[in-house]
Amino acid sequence: MDALKPAVGWLLGGIVAIALGLAAKPLLPERIADIASVMLVSIGVGSLASGLIRWRLPALYEAAPADLRRRYTREILLAMAAYMVMVVATVSVLRDGGPEGPLRALVALLPVPPIAFVLRAMVRYIRDADEMQQRIELEAVSIATALVALLYMSGGFLQAAKVIDLPAAAVMIWVFPLLCATYGVAKFLVMRRYQ
Amino acid sequence: MKNHLRTLREERGWSQGELAERLEVSRQTVNALETGKYDPSLPLAFRIARLFGRRIEDVFVPDEA
Repeated sequence: MDALKPAVGWLLGGIVAIALGLAAKPLLPERIADIASVMLVSIGVGSLASGLIRWRLPALYEAAPADLRRRYTREILLAMAAYMVMVVATVSVLRDGGPEGPLRALVALLPVPPIAFVLRAMVRYIRDADEMQQRIELEAVSIATALVALLYMSGGFLQAAKVIDLPAAAVMIWVFPLLCATYGVAKFLVMRRYQ
Repeated sequence: MKNHLRTLREERGWSQGELAERLEVSRQTVNALETGKYDPSLPLAFRIARLFGRRIEDVFVPDEA
């Protein structure tokens, strides 16, 4: 029951965000309704996952001292909030055409700086973790990078052979999220060796 | 590598968490050190030995080759 306590906020927050995401669509301005709804549901799923990790896999979440963890969570949440604002801005501007030329590129790239801050937060976290945690993180990053590279190379060969036909933009956008997810799973597996 | 970390810690009546705080590492790291799953770097090994007022050789026992 002790493990459930720190997770309750995340679990409830997740459920509320998913509910809002599903219910809010008709209430929002049409221009941003579907993107905002998708984002709310994603926040909800992320928050639920975070709650579940805190509850069921406290080892994964207790890998760093509390103050380092808090700084990391704060930096990630801020960057992700900024990211979502930027995605909504970009999508709502480019949906109906939007500007042409360099300005178009600028609008399209608005969500990138917040993601750079997510990366910065990860680097700061790894730098300040203790030596064993650093080893675990670095091993997990390496495994995740190798697996995602392998997956994308396989995808490239399949696409070149016209076995699959995936849209390039979506595939490129998914590199980083996929890397993060694989990193999480890899970290869990690597960590078990040290328990 | 074997070590006497758990005995030394229990002599002082510290929990793994308390020892982790004194060494500025996570509790998991203390656990991995005690169970011999992780061998510390030289600086951390010195910090551990100093904390217990011992020499490194009195805390860590090298595997016989």
